[in-house]
Amino acid sequence: MNDERRGQPLIDAVAGDEAPDSARRRLLKMAGAAVALTLAPGVTVLARDLVLKGGRKARSPVRYGLLIDANACKTGCDACVRACQDYNGLSHDPGPDNAQWIRKVTITDPGTGFTRSFPVMCQHCEDGACVDVCPTGASFRRPDGIVLVDKHRCIGCRYCLMACPYKARSFVGRVVTDQRPWAPRGKGTAEGCTMCVERVMAGKQPACVAACQKAGHKAMMFGNLHDPKSAIAVRLSKVATTTIRADLGMGPGVHYRGI
Amino acid sequence: MHARAGVLAVLLVVLALGAVWATHQGPVPMPVIPRAPGHCVLPTASMRRTHMMLLRAVREEIVRHDARDTRFRITHCVACHVEHTASGQPIPVNAPGQFCATCHTYVGVHIDCFACHAAVPRNPMKFGGIGGSNSVQAAFRIPQALRGRFLSGGAGGGR
Ligand code: SF4
Ligand code: SF4
Repeated sequence: MNDERRGQPLIDAVAGDEAPDSARRRLLKMAGAAVALTLAPGVTVLARDLVLKGGRKARSPVRYGLLIDANACKTGCDACVRACQDYNGLSHDPGPDNAQWIRKVTITDPGTGFTRSFPVMCQHCEDGACVDVCPTGASFRRPDGIVLVDKHRCIGCRYCLMACPYKARSFVGRVVTDQRPWAPRGKGTAEGCTMCVERVMAGKQPACVAACQKAGHKAMMFGNLHDPKSAIAVRLSKVATTTIRADLGMGPGVHYRGI
Repeated sequence: MHARAGVLAVLLVVLALGAVWATHQGPVPMPVIPRAPGHCVLPTASMRRTHMMLLRAVREEIVRHDARDTRFRITHCVACHVEHTASGQPIPVNAPGQFCATCHTYVGVHIDCFACHAAVPRNPMKFGGIGGSNSVQAAFRIPQALRGRFLSGGAGGGR
């Protein structure tokens, strides 16, 4: 979610039907108050979130993100998962000790029976718990929003696996052979979706997005969220979308429609 | 840094002595280093002395600051220095007798690189069609707007 949109419900709650501008000013005032409250347990995250929205941090011109349309995603299709495994050299076998960078999740409303199926991967959070907890700085966020593990620094403590609320990180527990040159991975390190950083830097889309398009479902979209003219930003401004567990305030870069 | 230079000096002396010993006495054969086609990114003498420092420096630049268009990529080393079997299968560069293994076995230095990195090149066209850093020619673009940030900013960077 981009900086302006993050925490929108909070602004609404504070502002009621005030003009957005004055709501923002009041929010900024509140931010000061909230910082003072950081001594009390439990309010630190809220305070930090408010300070972030106060605009103290410069907005990067590039933030890569995804838009996943659960209305278009087909139950039973795993083209994105397979493409990820092929491109990054992961096993097709969903065994318990095999890394999982992207998985299909099916949700059902028990009351109505409404069912949706969609892929979940690292949400490339703005303030990811994985980055916060990493004791070595191995888990880091690039200025363009892509969250990676620097495996040269990772000590395999698995703290990030525990911390990530999206279960997006895996641990490599066995010797790996037959790696892809563009996706180094080895025993004793944590890993997760890299948003196919090598492809993205070569001007291509991530493998999952390309595969979804090839399968004819067009349920995934990739682009620069901070470029108002990009297809993904235009789409986000037109349709109702959400992020998973937006309440955690980590600012995921992966948006969902239809869930 | 002095300590490192010292270690390096000692290593070179040991190497030189080893070479003298090998040529004169013959118990440890001199490594026969497979030759790669074309030209290396630096003169051979420089590469011999500095490749480990170069690789360590650029790994930081590539992973954290996205200097993916550098010449000094381990994937490029592999792409040039890989040997093939008679039937055309690539042989891992860390396999016995291969480019990385010959010297490192001779000097008794264990290398960890290929616990994670691929020791043979792969054709990215066969894996989802596009991307990958296999080819020396691959042009990697850093968005112009971010260049400064990547090169100066550390972990986390701007928002
Ligand atoms: S989804 Fe998990 S691993 Fe990915 S950035 Fe967020 S906290 Fe980190
Ligand atoms: S497993 Fe690696 S990346 Fe994850 S928290 Fe530990 S050191 Fe950091």
